Amino acid sequence: MATNQTHKIWRTKFTRILSFFILHSSFFIFFSCDKFLDIQPTGKVIAETGEEYRAMLTSVYNNFPDDRSLTMFRTDELVLDPASTESYDLNSYFDIWTWNDITPDENTASYSWRNFYHAIYIANYIIEHQSEITQAPTDSVRQMVGEAYMLRAYSHFILVNLFGEPYTYCNPSTSLAVPLMIEADVEAVPGRATVEAIYQQLLSDIAAAQQNLTVETWEPDLSYRFNTLSAEAFRARVCLYMGRWQEALTAAKAVIEAHPQLENLTTTTYTMPDHYKSVEAIVSLEHVLKSAYKRAGLPNVAFINSYRSGDMRKARFFKAQTSRVYNVLKGVKNGDAEDKEQYHRSTFRSAEAYLTAAEAAARLGSLPEAIELITPLLRHRYAAAMVTRLLPQLEAMTQEQLVDFILEERAHELCYEGHRWFDLRRTTQPRLERTYDGKTYVLEEHDSRYTMPIPTEAISANPGLAAE
Amino acid sequence: MDKLYLILLLAIWMPLQGRAQGYSDSLTQADIAKEMELQNFVVTGYQRIDRRKMTGSSTTLKISDETVGAVLNVDQALSGQVAGLSAVSSTGAPGAPLKIRIRGISSINGNQDPLWVLDGMPLEGNEIPTMEDLKDIDNLYQTSIAGINPADIESITVLKDAAATAIYGARAANGVIVITTKKGKAGSPKIDFHTKLTVSPNMGLDRLNLLNSDEKVGLELDLLRSNYTFRENKGDVYRILSALGEVDAYKAGGWNKLSAEAQQRIDDLRATNTNWNDVLMRTTFTQDYGVSVSGGGNKATYYASVGYSDQQGNVQGVSANRFNVTLKTSVRINEMLKVGASLFSTHRKQTSFMTDYNGFVNPVYYSRLANPYFKPYDENGNYNYDINVQGGKEDSQLDFNIFEERANTSNERQDQQLMAIFDAELKFVEWLKFTTQLGLQRDAYTIEKYAGEKSFAMRKDLERSVYLYSDGQRPFLPTTGGQHKVTEAHSYQWTWKGMLEAQHRFADTHEFQLMLGSEIRHIDANSTYTAAYGYDPRTLTTQTVYFPSENYAKTFPLHTETRTENAYVSWFATGSYTLLDRYTLGGSIRFDGSDVFGVAKKYRYLPLYSVSALWRAGEEKWLRRVEWINDLNLRASFGIQGNIDKNTSPYLIGRYDRKSLMGISEYVIDAETAPNPSLRWEKTKNVNVGLDLLLFNGIFNFTVDYYYRRSSDLIGLKMLPLETGFSSTTINWATMENKGWEFAISTRNIWSKHFHWTTQLNIGLNNNKVLRETVSENATYPSREGYPVGALFALQTAGLDNQGYPLFIDKTGNTVTLTELLKLNEYGASTLTAEEQRSLYTYMGTTDPKVSGGFINTFEWKNWTLGINFTFNLGMKVRTTPSYNITSYDRGLNTNRDILNRWTPTNTGSPSSTSVNSDNPIINILNRLTQANTSSPLPALINDTDRPAEYVQYHDLNLYNMLDIHVRNCNYIRLQSLRLAYKFDMPWLKRIGITNASLSVEGRNLFVIASNYDNYLDPETMGNPYAQPISRDIIFGISLGF
Repeated sequence: MATNQTHKIWRTKFTRILSFFILHSSFFIFFSCDKFLDIQPTGKVIAETGEEYRAMLTSVYNNFPDDRSLTMFRTDELVLDPASTESYDLNSYFDIWTWNDITPDENTASYSWRNFYHAIYIANYIIEHQSEITQAPTDSVRQMVGEAYMLRAYSHFILVNLFGEPYTYCNPSTSLAVPLMIEADVEAVPGRATVEAIYQQLLSDIAAAQQNLTVETWEPDLSYRFNTLSAEAFRARVCLYMGRWQEALTAAKAVIEAHPQLENLTTTTYTMPDHYKSVEAIVSLEHVLKSAYKRAGLPNVAFINSYRSGDMRKARFFKAQTSRVYNVLKGVKNGDAEDKEQYHRSTFRSAEAYLTAAEAAARLGSLPEAIELITPLLRHRYAAAMVTRLLPQLEAMTQEQLVDFILEERAHELCYEGHRWFDLRRTTQPRLERTYDGKTYVLEEHDSRYTMPIPTEAISANPGLAAE
Repeated sequence: MDKLYLILLLAIWMPLQGRAQGYSDSLTQADIAKEMELQNFVVTGYQRIDRRKMTGSSTTLKISDETVGAVLNVDQALSGQVAGLSAVSSTGAPGAPLKIRIRGISSINGNQDPLWVLDGMPLEGNEIPTMEDLKDIDNLYQTSIAGINPADIESITVLKDAAATAIYGARAANGVIVITTKKGKAGSPKIDFHTKLTVSPNMGLDRLNLLNSDEKVGLELDLLRSNYTFRENKGDVYRILSALGEVDAYKAGGWNKLSAEAQQRIDDLRATNTNWNDVLMRTTFTQDYGVSVSGGGNKATYYASVGYSDQQGNVQGVSANRFNVTLKTSVRINEMLKVGASLFSTHRKQTSFMTDYNGFVNPVYYSRLANPYFKPYDENGNYNYDINVQGGKEDSQLDFNIFEERANTSNERQDQQLMAIFDAELKFVEWLKFTTQLGLQRDAYTIEKYAGEKSFAMRKDLERSVYLYSDGQRPFLPTTGGQHKVTEAHSYQWTWKGMLEAQHRFADTHEFQLMLGSEIRHIDANSTYTAAYGYDPRTLTTQTVYFPSENYAKTFPLHTETRTENAYVSWFATGSYTLLDRYTLGGSIRFDGSDVFGVAKKYRYLPLYSVSALWRAGEEKWLRRVEWINDLNLRASFGIQGNIDKNTSPYLIGRYDRKSLMGISEYVIDAETAPNPSLRWEKTKNVNVGLDLLLFNGIFNFTVDYYYRRSSDLIGLKMLPLETGFSSTTINWATMENKGWEFAISTRNIWSKHFHWTTQLNIGLNNNKVLRETVSENATYPSREGYPVGALFALQTAGLDNQGYPLFIDKTGNTVTLTELLKLNEYGASTLTAEEQRSLYTYMGTTDPKVSGGFINTFEWKNWTLGINFTFNLGMKVRTTPSYNITSYDRGLNTNRDILNRWTPTNTGSPSSTSVNSDNPIINILNRLTQANTSSPLPALINDTDRPAEYVQYHDLNLYNMLDIHVRNCNYIRLQSLRLAYKFDMPWLKRIGITNASLSVEGRNLFVIASNYDNYLDPETMGNPYAQPISRDIIFGISLGF
């Protein structure tokens, strides 16, 4: 009887449907769990596609440190002044300006040690993962890898010039500079590499970049990215810093050949050469003279007065407020409503190539070639009558005089673009002096402070860096 | 794994097809009988386990007015009732959640809140955010358990050790609280009605010990002649003197050199005393009503209830209400199949004040700052503005009036909650059944904040939005109209589990029980915040904001959104074997898988397991002979609980953003979190040993548990060499242990015909220690390694020097100045290394209670019941905010009387010794009771011109807060409930259909015995000057049953 009853129960439609539903759907639970667990959180991503890798690279460009700006305070470009500098700016920059690297005020602006290495980490990550990038044509993957090599090299280049001895003033194969990071490894505890090792890596990275870079010119809005020509321009600068004149000359001439355009400052229709839309622009990544720095420091009047008469740059780059106070027009929007501060970026531009080529040629002793190389720049910078007067003077110069002239041109042309400190280091390392509130601060000729100590926060996170 | 289960299920399913077994109608009767034995079962949320086989550590609490008093929220019910569970209020605001910890804290960075389970469904949304910023306490916050009507709850079971919680897997690391709701019982319909009316008298701000007008004016006069110059131009005294041009005269010659007019006006100020207590606080009434209908027949039961409560806070403008509808039914379709459905629906509304960005508007905080001589209204009834309340900038003087603010701002939160649970039980044969449960939870809330044009909040935002345009300075926010900010959030979870349970008894000696199951869970949550400016509440229109740049747009976001989605899959099994009803061996295992992003698949599943044993020694023959021992059980368990941190990954995880580098906006992926190549699960090993003892026929009931929990591989911060590209990473690094004892004693002291007296004492002792932790290299505050997770460190002081500056005790025991202690250079920077600075600190104690519990007495005499519940938390320390800041006391604001006792050249006192703080909380209480009020002066107000180096430390680096004089003991015993009830049993009541009726009156929080909490409202909220007072309530209750 019990049997019959149970059968009846089983025959009840409801029970049957429900039981089947419950049990059969339970099987579902046991399957395809991994798929059920694959959830992509909104906003978070592990880069896989070309587009995602590109966005990662864009982030690095966006956060690229402006430490070359801080070096302006160490040179003869900016002056702190009790009358105009605010106290918080003094806190940030005074000890940089007076080369007080040992006991700086705790609010002193710090160097972006970690940010450079973060850029290097991402660059290494892209180089290591290049074969895993999906949904991207080979060309664009190669371009990103090329840019990664450039970023890695360029970051190391700035670091070694901030915290390592100048290649031309040390024994590069023994002088310890900064750690060289060529692997993305968060568990690494690196030590310092020699100046030589770093420069060799720069050259090999530039070569690797050149093999990979495919884009010749980016549209202006993307011109912060490295392009094919930038590798050559970078090589010219690195070789110049190393004193390898012939290679510097070859590379710089290659840049001039590919990108000879110069803004003509003698006309009124020029674009500021540091503007990303200037015809001179090769790579427009760094914005050096930001308004914050401009607010803190005044341009050095002695420096401004060192421009020759007829040099249009004095009027184009500076605006006199009074006879003692000037405004720098680089790095800022220039009255034009469309212009923006952030448009004034320049990392590589053609004028530098002319100056590099001329300097290298002059150093090699080929003075006529040097003059020939610098002439196009002079014609775009000086009033025509002045050029006519200047050229015979150049031809009469000794090698030393010509080199000095070219270096002066370099200072006048590339001022407030972050070149000055590095150029001083590699060339004459002159005595610099400043006075504030009656107190005088001196950086002696060939002072050891031409090389900065490794930031304390870096040492406290990795005490091994303190070792000599 | 998948296939194995398939085969297993098929193996069970196939033979059942068409199989016939004997069932009889008596099953239903047996079920009813089982219901009667509820107290003999422990509800774990997955299973009902016979207490005689329960190997884990758990406490079950029956919820009724008699046991827990009139509580409005479930979490309040637990306070002091369960050994090993501590519940501490962080504010007295109505509806505010309690911080509940079971057996201490087992995670450093992760969630520390227990898991709440409603009738088998784990609830989402019960994590209480850590309120790092004290002002966060003003955020209206709701947990999902706060939506449950306590009147619907039958019982609560707290699962404590690994053996009891392992079945919940990763989420159980902080303990599990299982709520079982009421259900209908077979029989005629039963209607229950209750109402509770509460009066909460105005608490008074006297405890804050604030200056009155006379004292405040005197202080301002004193300071003006002293060398303390911070914000000299603040305060009404200065304003009067400055208006009359007599500031210099006063400074030079004092009171007597003032003109008669100045003296008169200052004396008028002394005579004005605004009663801020009545302006800001109030006496309130709270109502709570509920009605439920329940009943059922042999086939089906039902339970339905409606509840409404409306709670007003002692702080003006603060309130919370709740409306509940609960429906439950259970139907037996036939002998094999039983189905059930429950629906819990809640609507809640909370209102509060709208706080501004610095928290001045918080009435509790404002009450400490408002000048007693300030009149909120002028003679004509217009608002007077308190310009002493600062705006965002140093010298701004924005208009603030608390009445205007209250009239023109609002802050309201509404919660809608719907929880539905569907169960089915399929009994194949007597020993085998399949149960499944589908749980749905939907929470939605809206927070609406409004500030009108005429409000301080709006004025402050306008001030913050001032921008230098080419034609001059003006705000970029619309200058007319107010602001309206709305947050909408939704979360939706579903949980589905299926379990196969087998139970069999062989030869009356062997008993097996086995359960296999799986569970999947999916959670979706999103929130949207919108802000509108230039808002007109009459036309409901807003105005466009023209931001000067992208950066400014980020400071006043108009729209933000969050979205999260999570999924979980778990398999679990438990089993037990019982021999001779005396020896039980149990075990359980659970695999938890979750959608942890960017985690290799091998890390997705973690096996969590436990093994446990129970010996019912009382059933042994040799003990049975001892008549006075009724029960003697010994329990032991070992298990592993675990958790995975969702914020780290072995891969490089980036976050999308948009940036415009030059002309165009582009996608960027910021990858600022270092990958963690060796990510592991956080694990907690648990050992529990327990003893249950029942003596003299239940007169004496005693339970003791000892536990040891060691949590390892906890996610902790580790510093990295910066050359890696990252400054730190979170890795499985830290280690922590908790150990403690739990005692629960209940006794029937007197049990005569008419008089019963029972006592219950619960004590939990917890000792927590961080075994391994790193701090960043440059941290100057010590690491907690070797100390509890809530460790407080302070600099040991030794009174004051001859200029009123604090003196310190250095490591060698010498009394030194701050300059000597920190070896300050002339700029006020310490020349010590960070490590040396860390070592200067002394461990003061922990912010978590070492001892917590409750003491409950119940007296019954005829129809009268008297319940007295005490709860206590002992052994805590708290770092209070200094009553005045020695470098930046703003004379425009009021403060408490401590400042009158500050060091001045005329009040030098004698060098004092610091009070002795003992680790033993009981001794501390005694100290407090015997200690006379020491009147040695407090530190002087100091200026930046004297000892500039020390000034920098105190002013810029906030070192003053780090002195040991601000660390206080926090021990308290609170009379949680004193309740007197009378039960009517007149025969005529029955005749008119009333089966039961009772009247009660209850006092809640009537008093608290605590270590010194002078200058604060409650011992619990000493650390937070923004916290609202905990109300004292008198509750009148009526309950009727038909």
